[in-house]
Amino acid sequence: MSKNVRNLSARKGLEDNLFERIAETFDENTGLDTQAQSELADQFLVGNANVFGAASFYDFLKPENAGKKAFACTGSACLLAGTQDAVREKLGEHFKPSQIGDVYCLGRCHENSAFHIQDHNHSGADINRLTDIIDNPATASVPDRYNVGAVGPALLTTNAPNEQQALEALVAVLDSSRDTLMEEMQVSGLRGRGGAGFPTAIKLAAVRNETNDTKYIVCNADEGDPGAFSDRYLLEQRPHLVLFGMAMAGFLTGAREGVVYIRAEYPEAITITEKCAEAFNALFPFQRSDGETVQYKLYVMKARGAYICGEETALLSSIEGLRPEVRTRPPFPVQSGLYGKPTVVSNVETLANLYAIATGGGAAFKAIGTGKSSGTKLLSLDSHFANPGIYEAAMGTPLDEVLYGLGGGFRKPVKALHIGGPLGGLVPLHKTKDLTVDFESFASNGFLLGHASVLSIPEAFPLVEYLEHLFAFTAHESCGKCFPCRIGSVRGKELLEGARKQQRRIDRELFADLLETLEKGSLCALGGGLPLPVKNAMKYFDEELKAFFTPQATAHNV
Amino acid sequence: MSSLTTTIAYVNDMPCAFEPGESILQFTRRHFDETAIPTLCDAPNLEAYGSCRVCSVEVALEKDGPRRTKASCHTQVEAGMFIYTESPAIQKLRKNIIELVLTDHPLDCLTCEVNGNCELQDVAARVGIRKVRYPAGENHLDREKDLSHPYMTSDLSKCILCYRCVRACDEVQGQLVLSVMGRGFDSKIIKGFDQSFFDSDCVSCGACAQACPTSAISDIYQSKAEVGQDKVRSICTYCGVGCNLEVSVKNGEILSIQAPWEAEVNKGHTCLKGRYAFSFYNHPERLRYPMIRKNGELERVTWDEVYDYLAEKISAVRKENGPDAIGGISSSRCTNEENYLMQKFIRAVVGTNNIDGCARVCHSPTAIGMQRTFGTGAATNSVADLQFTECMMVIGANPTDAHPVTGAKIKQQAMKGKTLIVIDPRKTELARYAQHHLQLRPGTNMAVLDMMLYYIIKEGLDHKDFIEARTEGYEEFRTSILNLNIGELEQVSGVPREQVRAAAIAYAKAGAAMSFHGLGVTEHSQGTFTVMQIANLAMITGNIGRPGCGVNPLRGQNNVQGMADMGVQPYQSAGYFDVTNPEVIHKFSEFYGVQVPTEIGLTIPQMYDAALEGKLKIMWIMGEDLVQSDPNTNKVVKALKSLDLLIVQEIFMTETAKIADVVLPGASFLEKEGTFTNGERRIQRVNQVVKPVGESKADGQIIVDIMNRMGYKQAPYSAKTMLEEIALIVPFFAGVKWDELGEQGKQWPVNADGTDTKILHVGTFKRGKGKFHFKEFKETREITDHQKDFPYILTTNRVLEHYNAGTMTRRTPNVELVTEDLLLIHPEDAAKHNIVQGDWVCIESARGKVDIKAHLTEEVKPGILSTTFHFPELMVNIVTSDVHDSEAKCPEFKVVSVRIRKARRVEERNKLKV
Repeated sequence: MSKNVRNLSARKGLEDNLFERIAETFDENTGLDTQAQSELADQFLVGNANVFGAASFYDFLKPENAGKKAFACTGSACLLAGTQDAVREKLGEHFKPSQIGDVYCLGRCHENSAFHIQDHNHSGADINRLTDIIDNPATASVPDRYNVGAVGPALLTTNAPNEQQALEALVAVLDSSRDTLMEEMQVSGLRGRGGAGFPTAIKLAAVRNETNDTKYIVCNADEGDPGAFSDRYLLEQRPHLVLFGMAMAGFLTGAREGVVYIRAEYPEAITITEKCAEAFNALFPFQRSDGETVQYKLYVMKARGAYICGEETALLSSIEGLRPEVRTRPPFPVQSGLYGKPTVVSNVETLANLYAIATGGGAAFKAIGTGKSSGTKLLSLDSHFANPGIYEAAMGTPLDEVLYGLGGGFRKPVKALHIGGPLGGLVPLHKTKDLTVDFESFASNGFLLGHASVLSIPEAFPLVEYLEHLFAFTAHESCGKCFPCRIGSVRGKELLEGARKQQRRIDRELFADLLETLEKGSLCALGGGLPLPVKNAMKYFDEELKAFFTPQATAHNV
Repeated sequence: MSSLTTTIAYVNDMPCAFEPGESILQFTRRHFDETAIPTLCDAPNLEAYGSCRVCSVEVALEKDGPRRTKASCHTQVEAGMFIYTESPAIQKLRKNIIELVLTDHPLDCLTCEVNGNCELQDVAARVGIRKVRYPAGENHLDREKDLSHPYMTSDLSKCILCYRCVRACDEVQGQLVLSVMGRGFDSKIIKGFDQSFFDSDCVSCGACAQACPTSAISDIYQSKAEVGQDKVRSICTYCGVGCNLEVSVKNGEILSIQAPWEAEVNKGHTCLKGRYAFSFYNHPERLRYPMIRKNGELERVTWDEVYDYLAEKISAVRKENGPDAIGGISSSRCTNEENYLMQKFIRAVVGTNNIDGCARVCHSPTAIGMQRTFGTGAATNSVADLQFTECMMVIGANPTDAHPVTGAKIKQQAMKGKTLIVIDPRKTELARYAQHHLQLRPGTNMAVLDMMLYYIIKEGLDHKDFIEARTEGYEEFRTSILNLNIGELEQVSGVPREQVRAAAIAYAKAGAAMSFHGLGVTEHSQGTFTVMQIANLAMITGNIGRPGCGVNPLRGQNNVQGMADMGVQPYQSAGYFDVTNPEVIHKFSEFYGVQVPTEIGLTIPQMYDAALEGKLKIMWIMGEDLVQSDPNTNKVVKALKSLDLLIVQEIFMTETAKIADVVLPGASFLEKEGTFTNGERRIQRVNQVVKPVGESKADGQIIVDIMNRMGYKQAPYSAKTMLEEIALIVPFFAGVKWDELGEQGKQWPVNADGTDTKILHVGTFKRGKGKFHFKEFKETREITDHQKDFPYILTTNRVLEHYNAGTMTRRTPNVELVTEDLLLIHPEDAAKHNIVQGDWVCIESARGKVDIKAHLTEEVKPGILSTTFHFPELMVNIVTSDVHDSEAKCPEFKVVSVRIRKARRVEERNKLKV
């Protein structure tokens, strides 16, 4: 991470944001405008290479994607559903092959056949009205439908307040005692919902205790995990809960600016959140009854297509206009985050939970769930379920209650579930009964709750192909900074591809070395997390996979 | 015991004390050795990056506790940590990572430039790779080489994507030319918009090449090749920064130059002049033998003949016209020892104080101004103080071009947000990064500084305690400043008062503020007073005698400081003693063993006048091209031609040498030993790298030879013996010994016990109390006399690629980078005269006219023009004036009244010349 570029970008900050300005230099037809980039570099006193290098990182800005008119989803859910060959074929009737691009997951995992045209997402049966969609891109788009439900007390789904209620609650929060609210946060035991499960109160307190004049709240809405669409649900259906959380976090920590960084693959979420943010921004400056003026301003920022931006340090670099490469830690964002200032980086769902704590109290929140995992968790169920959709479950709920209760079980035979994103564990179907929806249960069984997306791997889908897909996904999304992930993801993909297509058996020892190198050597969870589902697969599905590997070393031939 | 448990961690079970904040890598290297943990992405002058993961180690929080793998470069040591650097798991991890790297790296080591000096090779050997097990896959082995640039080369098929080049360009030079495009496996190092080195904005500093662990980025000299085993440490001759160089030699030939990582001055960095522009040293045009003009032509003679000729001529003139008919000009390009000898020769052997040097045309006002205020005419602080300062003020200096390594350091601080004030008529590179750029009209430094002082006093930001305790003359000064007419000053300088006020407040409120100035301060009619005003600014805010503050002149030439220290000025002897002081006269007469002159001698401009009047008969010029670098060329040539005997000691046939009667071939800095003193008073060892070309000799040896020939016993030139002599007479050199200077040199004053001094005037000024002098802004005569007829103001600047008159740099590939002098002109002015980019423009002053190519730029304001003087054929100094600084007699290069028009029939005239 270039401190120089970061500081130069900080001179103009969020108002005249380098990242957004860089994005403006991309022309859909001609690609990157180097003349405009050169002028931009001059204005920001950075190098041409900084601007061009940052732009070329993103799927939606990279020069190769100039002239792309339609993007077909290549995410895991659509792959497993097997819908995309047909989608590509239909797109091919309207576009030249060079005009059709790839996009990793549009969050339409509940009905698949997903594609993206002119800032709108489509899925399910939409592919059958392609002509209308192409002719009337703005009006032909209809909101997608999926099931929403809850098992146990619901905080985010069924009982959620409307925008007006959220704004009123915020006014009450802004006029109350920060210490008391911090206490409630502490009592609630809320842990980050992005995957890592870090206690939110500790994060808020860390930023609150920093003496810096400038602080930021960043909402990580770059929900890139193929199979997950719970953040999309919140941003589209409950944006006021998310923005409430951001404003409250700003109030508690002393941050006066907040950024919601939403993936470009969710265009509808961006529009809806932007509109909602206007209502929140109108509350500020807020005059407290003790005379204090509270400032806060929300910015909604459109990401440009890079899974790694879901990693918090890469996300910060992205907002700053740097190449979103993973940073080393320490320093942690709470000390040196956005523009080098103390920053709370939290996930959408985490922030959405602040409303329940602020209005219902920490203790009530804590009463839901298990001792270590309090509150509820949203799960995304894919199209293989009888009732695909978003479900809210109190932490500690048996997983099967969600899968078979709310989800209604599977439409066709499934052999495993990939839960918690591409880096989550691969759970053989017979293991689901051992799991409850909480961090501890998954971890102790060798899996990962992660973001709680649930992807179903049909009986008929070859696991070797799925593993190759996971390596390909990692290779495509690797930022390229650390050696193990940058090279190892490609080599893993090649090994699996060779085994699948050319019957070239994979040297088992080499493969184990590769997984170990990724796991121990990678800088972040992308390369480091990839081995988990692969190892799960090799452990639980050896029968299916062993044909692709050299024989297991025995005591005799070691 | 408790303190031990909080500061101890274990490396391979061995307890070691760590320092707070230390990374495991730093900690382990400090306790064991540099190779204790292998790395690929780490470099000595770069921040930890964490990309290669080769530095991984195992860490347990208790003995026999569970071990986790951590990258040692960005994991901090904690108390009680157990660190395992070579466990089987770690060895395997490293091997597996390197194996992955080798799947995308050519295996042509035997024919690779860096064979034997490749970090990837070293690490691969260390981890014991025997085989790459992966089947052939996607790779980047076919990436094309970039050989576009005169110096820089790249071959990205060798790139391991460690980002060291990108980080060096960013963190060391601050140029931001390099980055990466794409992502993941397709990531690729780019220059600008994925251009060639030549087409990019690269400034050829070579930091990336030196940082690259393989040969992915290198240079035409193949600096990292193992061939040049002999490495000699020396000091760069291109500016006053004093970069340390490591010169590779083989069979008496210089192969390449690198910057030593551990050099305090430049820490592995230097610029394209220091690193690459050395090929002048054995250029065919080097002067190789002495010459005497016979029948109008310079003819080759022997050293014996030339010494006899000179001894006889000088003795004769001395006898007939007296010693004051002879003058010597010494060189700030030469060593301290040589400068000492030159002034000694003129004073003790010839018997006159007519000794002056090229500092006259650059930093003489600095010496006088700072002496008057502080008592010492040298930088008060060190460049390393930049890390402690809170505010940097750069006035009349363009260090990113003229002092590139210091410039890069200032820029680094500015980019990171430290307050920078730039006072300059041009929007220099630093001005772009500055919070405050006071873009004044050339010649009005005094006006702007007056305004700053006014606002500091008005705002009550004067540091009363410091002023009370450490200075004198303040009350009177204060009254004078408060009586200034701000409206007038604002108008004449063209800088809005609010801008000046904001800058003044920023400077005054900073906990420590540091000023840097250059020739844009000194080369003015009020140069000395301006230096004093900068010094006043430092005193009034208490910015003296502490880290991170002070007044710091940026010395143009490698040894300007040393030349003055050694007594190359007509009024002060070696060690800055007043030559008219009877005690001094007595002391030096005794020391030299002859009666020394008692009258102040002539400065360079006075020598010209004396020559024109027929009073000065002989000039001996060592290492200075007066014809090209002094103002008002026509006058200079006329003066030199009117001499009876002009002796020029040079390395090339310069414009001055061409009109000399005797030409003596000197040795270049690569061919001799001695010491240079850099701009922060650091005396550093220059070591001989190769033998002098042809019959050329060290300048010091030539002076010693002539001294002996004229009957004065002087020991042969050697740095060691000369320093022994200098230490006896120059008090601040008392403890300077050749064998004790070490690789980092010492900053004077060096006490007898060898200890040196980083910061001057701590506690007390050299002159006791700092003295406030008030001088009013006065418009230069050049403007008042000529502005009516010559409404534009021409000022002069430099470019990075060339050095002064270009004598050396134009004999290197630098000339492929910048091929000519250009006239910077604002587009509005150009439009008025129908001038477009690249047109020839005739600029005319009261002295004469020259044609020069236009470069349209908003770097200068309308009404202001600027140009360089690196290419002698243009002779820009034909138009410059002979107005001088009232005190130091430094010429006013920076303000010339001119008029312009589009040049006519330039092509035809140029053809006629051919």
